[in-house]
Amino acid sequence: MSSEEPRITLYTAGTPNGQKISCTLEELGLKYKVHKLDISKNEQKEEWFLKINPNGRIPAIVDKSTGNPILLFEGTAIQLYLCATYDPEHKISFPYNSAEYWDGLAWLTWMQSGIGPMQGQANHFYRYAPTKIDYAVNRYQTETRRLYGVLDARLAEQEKAGKGLWVVGDKYSIVDLCCFSWVNWAEWAGVETKPFAALQRWLEVIQQRPAIQKGVDVPDKFEMKEAMKTKEGEEEYAKYHSNWVMQGMKEDRDKHK
Amino acid sequence: MATRSLKLYSHAGGPNPWKVAIILNALSVPYENELMDFAVLKKEPFESINPNGRVPALEDPNTGVTVWESGACIDYLLETYDTSNKLHAKSGAQRWQEKSWAHFQTSGQGPYFGQRAWFVLYAPEPMEYCLKRYGDEIRRVIGVIDAHLKKSGKQFLCGDKATYADLMFMPWHWLLLTKPFINGEGFGKEWEEKYPVAWAWQERLEGMEAVKRAKEDRGKAMSKGH
Repeated sequence: MSSEEPRITLYTAGTPNGQKISCTLEELGLKYKVHKLDISKNEQKEEWFLKINPNGRIPAIVDKSTGNPILLFEGTAIQLYLCATYDPEHKISFPYNSAEYWDGLAWLTWMQSGIGPMQGQANHFYRYAPTKIDYAVNRYQTETRRLYGVLDARLAEQEKAGKGLWVVGDKYSIVDLCCFSWVNWAEWAGVETKPFAALQRWLEVIQQRPAIQKGVDVPDKFEMKEAMKTKEGEEEYAKYHSNWVMQGMKEDRDKHK
Repeated sequence: MATRSLKLYSHAGGPNPWKVAIILNALSVPYENELMDFAVLKKEPFESINPNGRVPALEDPNTGVTVWESGACIDYLLETYDTSNKLHAKSGAQRWQEKSWAHFQTSGQGPYFGQRAWFVLYAPEPMEYCLKRYGDEIRRVIGVIDAHLKKSGKQFLCGDKATYADLMFMPWHWLLLTKPFINGEGFGKEWEEKYPVAWAWQERLEGMEAVKRAKEDRGKAMSKGH
């Protein structure tokens, strides 16, 4: 292995979307630099970072492996780029333009426009919003459960068809990884995975993967699941996260008055 | 070349199917717009086409491919029918920049403009906190586009030519600027004043044939009571 500086830099923080990319990089065995953004200080909205991601969010990557640096934002775009560039043998991806490729793309898009935002809203109203609005908590937790149900049905169907417990094709891929990144945070949104039998088994299998165990600890050790085991841990974790979320929201609001 | 018409599972009011219609129009791909009722989507036979029970979904009899999720439908159309790269770059940094913006649309514009629409149109009573949260996010998203275009000095998100990434943002704009005016009737004026570069970009895209046609078709479908 070459000892030169890694050419890929990952801009990230300890959230499902950040973990999605560190896990993908680990699965591909790629060397990468980690630049942790302090979201509680709104670092991701600083000018220098907006040049990399105009949307001011993580994850984002810069790949200087070729003459022209590639700057990318949006988790799905990043996953697709990494596989197109670094997974020629399709260890965790599908050949471009194959039936599985399009099927996989539908599920990837479904996850980033469905589970991500909806579970994210559940997180917001369940954990961060200053007043508890039951209607909103219910709406987003219910939608998260609906989406988990869709995924659970799909996994069961795949398994029944002899494809194994994977979302697309007959192997573990970035599609599973992408969905896993959020389902792994279910308890944070106040949603249970146990009622979804196939989903629960799939979740546990992926949690055992060495690349996943390494990837979720980037940029810091992943402590949410431990914190959730006690009431105090849960409250403290919630308070810390609530702080940076609400601070970020306030700054955006002030900017766009 | 498509010799047989594609089938676009669609809906009159909902913006997402019209996103795919714009791309079909721009690539001159023949298609039928199958306007669906929301009531039939979350069961068979439609669930076998889209397990998520939503529109759009696209069936191509020329290749036997069925695809769902508007972003995936569009990617499929670009790969199959944009052989002269009218709407997308084949490779390089440009290709991935286009993808970043396209994914920002499907994960960052749609779902959040959609939540505002929900709380305006369907929540049992007005919920200020929620309306404000999503109204502010609409402003933030438009602000991101405005700042980006100001900085780049280009006419479109990824350069001087309109790409599919620009076109994908359009249908949700219709819900802002025409009935049901999800961010309030005054929002068009606010947008033009506060985010003028994004406003000019939006107008540039509205003037394109493919967009005009889709908007008209949607208007007709809505007035037929679909």
